[in-house]
Amino acid sequence: MAELMDIIASFLASSLRQAAPLSLAALGVAYAEKAGILNIGEEGIMLSGAFFGFIAAYFSGSLFVGIISGALGGILISMIHAFMCIKVKANQTIVGLALNFFTLGLTSFLFLLVFGQNTKLPSVASLNPITLPVLSKIPVLGPVFFSQNILIYILYLAIIVFFVVFYKTEWGVRLTAVGENPRAADSAGLGVNATRYVSCIINGVFGGLGGAYITLAQLGYFQEDIVSGKGYIALVVVILGRHNPVFILLSAMLIGFAESLQFSLQTMGIPLPSQAFSMLPYLIAVIVLLLSAGKSSSPAFLGIPYERDKR
Amino acid sequence: MKKALVLLLVLVTTFAFAFAGGSTDGGSDSIDSMALILSGPANDQGWNAVAVAGLEATAEKFGLSTTIMENVSIADSEAAYRQLAAEGYDIIIGHGYQYGEPAAAVSHEFPNKYFIATESNSYSENAASYVMACEQGAYVMGLMAAGMSESGIVGVIGGFEQPSITKEIEAFKIAAKSINPDIQVLSIYINSFTDTNLGYEAAMTMINHGADVVYQVANQAGNGALIACAERGVYCMGNSYDQNSIAPEYVLTSTIYNMDQVMITAVSSILDGTFTGGVYNLGMDKKVVEIAPYHALEDVIPAQLKEKISDTIEDIIDGSLVVPVISSPTK
Repeated sequence: MAELMDIIASFLASSLRQAAPLSLAALGVAYAEKAGILNIGEEGIMLSGAFFGFIAAYFSGSLFVGIISGALGGILISMIHAFMCIKVKANQTIVGLALNFFTLGLTSFLFLLVFGQNTKLPSVASLNPITLPVLSKIPVLGPVFFSQNILIYILYLAIIVFFVVFYKTEWGVRLTAVGENPRAADSAGLGVNATRYVSCIINGVFGGLGGAYITLAQLGYFQEDIVSGKGYIALVVVILGRHNPVFILLSAMLIGFAESLQFSLQTMGIPLPSQAFSMLPYLIAVIVLLLSAGKSSSPAFLGIPYERDKR
Repeated sequence: MKKALVLLLVLVTTFAFAFAGGSTDGGSDSIDSMALILSGPANDQGWNAVAVAGLEATAEKFGLSTTIMENVSIADSEAAYRQLAAEGYDIIIGHGYQYGEPAAAVSHEFPNKYFIATESNSYSENAASYVMACEQGAYVMGLMAAGMSESGIVGVIGGFEQPSITKEIEAFKIAAKSINPDIQVLSIYINSFTDTNLGYEAAMTMINHGADVVYQVANQAGNGALIACAERGVYCMGNSYDQNSIAPEYVLTSTIYNMDQVMITAVSSILDGTFTGGVYNLGMDKKVVEIAPYHALEDVIPAQLKEKISDTIEDIIDGSLVVPVISSPTK
C-alpha cells in the first residue's frame, strides 16, 4: 500500500514538473485567445523568457532578477507580435511562425556572443523548493504540490486569478466580447485594440515565466533551442483545456503523466520499438480531443484583426 | 508605389543570389576547403561542439578553409551535401549516422569531391564512413556503472533508436552483466537529441525505479539527465566530451570522442591520395575514443574497479578484447 502511494506520488510529481512550464505559457495564450489574438509565436516567447531569464540570473546572481527578466523577455516578443497583428493587421499565424524562427536565431546568436563556442556549460543554481506549513502535511498530495519552487506557487495563484477574472468579473465579460464580436464591443464603447494589447502583455509575462521555469527552476542552464517545441504543446494544452484555467493545468498534467508513463513502460523491457512509446503523449492528446469534440471553445474572431472602418 | 518597391526588392534579391552563386568556381583540382554538416546547433556543448573543435583543428593543420551548416534535418541532408558540393567545397563531412546514405547518394553527382559521414555504414567510390568505436567507451561505462551500483539497478538513456546509439547501449548492458550477472539495466530511448527536458524526466523515471548509476548517450538532451542525477544525488556518466563540469560531484567519468583524430585521418588520406571509399573503424587504439579522468571522484571509486577499468582499456587497445557491435535493440 505504502509502495503504491510512493508510485502515485512520483507520477504526480513528474506530471506537475512537466506541466508547470506548459500551464504557465498556456494561461497566457488562453488570455490572449479570449481577446481574439492567436499566438503561434508562443514557442518564441518561451524561448526568449528562458534566455533572458537565464542570462539575467547568471550576471546578477539573483534568481529574482532572473524571473523578472524572463517575464520581460516574453513581453519583448509578444509586443512585436501585438504590433504586427493589431497595428499592421498582418496574418497572425505567419507572424507567429516568423517570430519563432527569429527568436531561435536571436537567442542562439546572443548566447554565442556572450559565452562563445565551448564545451563548458555556463550554469546558475536553480530555484529551491519552499515547503508550505500545514498544506505540505497532507498525505501524498502535500509534499508533491506544496513543497515546490516559487514559480509553481505563482502558477497556482494565476490559475485562481484567471478563473475569477474569466468567469466572475465584468472584465472577463468584456474580454469575451472583444474576442467574440469586436464590432459589438466597439459599439458598446469597449476599447478593442487596447484590450488586445493588454492581453498580449499578459501572454508575454506568462509565456516568459514558462520559459524561465525551464532554465531557472529545472535545469539551471541555457542551450540553443532549449524550449524545443513546448510552446506548440502549450497551444495544444489551451485547446484541450478549453480555455479554462483549471482544465489547462489538468490537461498539461495529463500530457506530463503520459510522458512519464511511457518512460516507465520503456524501463519494463516490453518488446516494442521505443518510437511506439514516444507517441503516447500525443496519442492521448488526440484521444482527449476526440472525446471532447463538440462546440469549439475558441472565440469567433480568433486571429482576425479588428478594422473599424471596414465590415 | 508599393508594388514597384516590392518588384525592386525581388529584383535586387534575385541578382544578389545570381552573383553570389557565380562567384565560386568548382573546377580546381587542389583540395583547399572542407564543410561540416551538423544535426543540431554547433554550440551544443556536446556531440556537435566536439565536431566543430575537430574541424577547426584539422583545418589549421592542413591549411583548409571551412564552413559549418547547422541544424540539418534528415530530410534536408541530401540537399545540404549537394549545395555544399555545388558551392565548391572539396571535402564534405556529415556528423552522424543519418548522413551516411545521403552522402553516398550525392557522391555520384560530384565525382571530384569527397563525401564523409561519421558513425555510418554507407560508402561509394568517393564517399566513406568513419565509425568511432563508441561501443568501446560504452563498455567501460558499463563496468563503471555496475561496479558503483549498490542497488543492483543501473540506467542508460539513448537519443534516437538508431545503430550508432544502440551499439553503445547494448555494449553497456553486456559490460554491466559481466561485472554482476544479476544486475538490472534499465534503458530508455527518448527519441530526441535536443529536448533536455526529456533527458531529465527519463533519468528521474530510472531513479524512481531504483537506478543508482545512469549513463547518457543522447547528446544535448542527455545533459538534462546529468542535472536530474545531481538533483537526486545519483552518480552518472557523460558522453562526447568530459562533462564533469556539469555536476562535479556526480559525473564519475565520460566517454570522449576525439573527432579531430577522425578528421585528420580522413583528410590526410585524401591529401596523400590513398583515399578509397569504405567503412573505417577507429577506436581506443587510435585515441579516437577515450575515457575522461575521474576528477574529484577519484577516491570514491574503489581501487579494484579502477584497476579493472584500466586493464579492460588495455585489452581493448591491444585487441585481446573485442567489444561486440550490436545494432538492433534487445529487450
